[in-house]
Amino acid sequence: MIEEKSITRREFMKYVAVGCAVAMGTSFLGCMKKEDVVKQEIQKNIYRDEFILGYGKDHKLKGGKWGIGFFPKTHILERLVEYDLKRDEYIPSLAEKWVLENDGKAIVFELKKGIKFSDGEEFNAEAVKFSVEWLKQNHPLGKETFEGAEVIDEHTVLINYKEAKFLNLAKMAEFHMGIMSPNSVSPAGDPKGKFVYPIGTGPFKVVDYKEEQYAVYEPNPYWYERMGIKPKFKRFIVKIIKDEDTRVMALRSGEVDAISDYSHGGSDYTPRNMLDVLKREGFKVYKRIIPLTWIVAFNYEKEPFNDVKIREIVDLSVNRDEIVKIFDNQVLPAKTLFIEEAPGIREANRIYKYDPEVARALAEELGIKGTKASMIIEREQGDQILVGQLIQQQLKNVGIDVELNVLESGAYKERRDSGDYDMRIYYIGGTDRRFYLRMFWRFHPKTKWKVYVSERTGELCDRILTEYDKNKRKHYLIEFYKAVYEEHGVVPLYFDIMTVVASQKVDVEYGELFRYAEPMFHSVGVRI
Amino acid sequence: MIEYIIRRIIQIVPTLFGISFISFSLLMLFPGDPAEIIITTSSGYEPAKEIIEEYRREIGLDEPFIVQYINWLKKIISGDFGVSWTTGEPVLDMIAERFPASLQLFFATFLISAVFSLILGIISALYKDRALDSIIRIFSLLGISIPSFWLGLILIWIFSVKLRILPAFGYGNIEHIILPVLTWSFSFMAIKTRFVRASLLKELSEEYIITARAKGLPEKVVIIRHALRNALIPIITYFSLSMGHLIVGSIMVESVFSWPGLGSLLVESTIKRDFPVVQALILFVGVLFVITNLLIDILYAIIDPRIRYGGKNV
Repeated sequence: MIEEKSITRREFMKYVAVGCAVAMGTSFLGCMKKEDVVKQEIQKNIYRDEFILGYGKDHKLKGGKWGIGFFPKTHILERLVEYDLKRDEYIPSLAEKWVLENDGKAIVFELKKGIKFSDGEEFNAEAVKFSVEWLKQNHPLGKETFEGAEVIDEHTVLINYKEAKFLNLAKMAEFHMGIMSPNSVSPAGDPKGKFVYPIGTGPFKVVDYKEEQYAVYEPNPYWYERMGIKPKFKRFIVKIIKDEDTRVMALRSGEVDAISDYSHGGSDYTPRNMLDVLKREGFKVYKRIIPLTWIVAFNYEKEPFNDVKIREIVDLSVNRDEIVKIFDNQVLPAKTLFIEEAPGIREANRIYKYDPEVARALAEELGIKGTKASMIIEREQGDQILVGQLIQQQLKNVGIDVELNVLESGAYKERRDSGDYDMRIYYIGGTDRRFYLRMFWRFHPKTKWKVYVSERTGELCDRILTEYDKNKRKHYLIEFYKAVYEEHGVVPLYFDIMTVVASQKVDVEYGELFRYAEPMFHSVGVRI
Repeated sequence: MIEYIIRRIIQIVPTLFGISFISFSLLMLFPGDPAEIIITTSSGYEPAKEIIEEYRREIGLDEPFIVQYINWLKKIISGDFGVSWTTGEPVLDMIAERFPASLQLFFATFLISAVFSLILGIISALYKDRALDSIIRIFSLLGISIPSFWLGLILIWIFSVKLRILPAFGYGNIEHIILPVLTWSFSFMAIKTRFVRASLLKELSEEYIITARAKGLPEKVVIIRHALRNALIPIITYFSLSMGHLIVGSIMVESVFSWPGLGSLLVESTIKRDFPVVQALILFVGVLFVITNLLIDILYAIIDPRIRYGGKNV
């Protein structure tokens, strides 16, 4: 017997309602933008749980005597302020605002509220005071900079500095000035205590570490919540691969998802002549130019380069366009002292020219044919040996015989300190946050690391580093660039870059990756 | 024999003093200011002169050389190797952490290269001036000539990038050790194969071998029981002296394959002027060397009963 099944009116209405809902839903999805659908897909399940990065330097997460590495300093810790190079402004990070006191010898920082360290502890004035005291106790930057810190209230802290200088604020954006939780040491909160591991307010927290092998991080949920974004991986594994060729091979073999240059810039980078090759192989190449200029520095206190005219001959003889070919044109020839985004560079409008004819004429006029000059280069800076050889060839055309001395780091420093050299290849600037600090190191009369100081440039450098007023500082910067140019204090060669090379599976927005000059990996996702 | 061993152990002490003094003196001759290099390489900061001076005092570099040496020696005698100037960790802990990786790499390489170089060396000697000998000699020549870092990268390219069957770098699993060992064994084996061949050929030309053959002994017995046994003494000496490679020989391989061994620690510590670590490592190699030598001497007596120590029969 076949049972006849009839539907009731109520059931009929139910089916109609469901049918309408399905139809409406389908049409709604049809009206949605494609990007929105893609976004929803991404949020669901298309990313792998792990992101593996190949990096050339150990993260030194045990801290030791000198603190953690540059990478965790930017990925675990945050600073009170950050530096915006294009606007030449210090912008709030952990501090909401700040007020100068005592002519700039002290700064009162008003801290942002509701921020937590990755261990759940509140970020407050006590944590800032601890970090200042820890740095003063342990790090040369802290020793040189701080007198101490006082807690005014839970979210206000006063930091006393050794000198009344704008450089105080500039230093607060430095790598080393990350704010640590007092729980980072044992006993907790003791600046003389033993460093355990870094706990910060930044995007990541440490979960595992094996010296010289790997570091494993997990997203810090408090940071992501504060930024209003969601992490696209659960674990961030950084494998330490010191050999640059092996790093590239590891990327090609798929053992790492991406490889990155050293956060500090200038060393442990992906070979520049591999970037185009990797791009052709289908890898994504992200590149950011940084205000780090490689230069020829002179021993300007002795003959022959105590003569500005002879320095000018070198300046005019160096063909920067040829030099960048060593790097497969990946770096830019430095025709100004710093990149054009650096404050005051455009306004100063001082362009370093290559003019071998004028150089030769000047050389003949001065009768310097056959002048011998030594050039010292650090062996660890392998690329600079090639740069030195090219400069040697270029200077030969004007009658300067350059003797290249490629030296081990210690021997290089010894020759430099004893003044037993005529020229050396070195660098000025750094990543954005180091711009002013490196200006102090390279151009201030007080430092032993200086590359060029005259009465005029020394005074201007001091004014730049003292002046809190942005406009006045810019004026001094312009005058400073002009002075270095006119005195041929240094010969800019090329501007360095920061790169990240990633597999096709890696999704990341350029703006987030290079939120600061050094790469930040918080927004990376690796598609399955 | 026991008396001999005791005497040799006593002799080790002045040898180690000598090693420690020479290495300490050489480190002091290194160019550059260690305090400055330590601070700049470890902190990523370029400090003021006062900070460098303060640190120099803190680590005792302001003391006269001999005072520094005596202070260091006193600590060493009491078992305190000090702490690393760069990491602040006890030096012995650092060495202990890396020692297993070095030991694994070295012994795997040593075993493979010893076995293969013995086999290839014997074959080469037995087939002197024939095709097989030529092939083995070309192989040895290649092993000696090809730089380890280049070979390492080629192997990575083949096995990791193209075939994707072995990891390109790292430490931990059994598959991680294959490429470093292959790379290192190639050069290790090449030199040893030539040495085995030369030693065996020398023995084969001795008169006692001609006598043995004239007596009608089978060729196998002549080779293994007579020629090879005598050839083994220089071979063992040569093989054993390669213990020093435990640290120094692996530097290139460690660097290419990110192998966390003692070789890379020695290089990094030297570059950073982390003298407590460098000193301890040199002393460590010295001790290894001296102990190995002692063991070789004992082994001689076992292999060749004609060898007598201290005028008495063993």
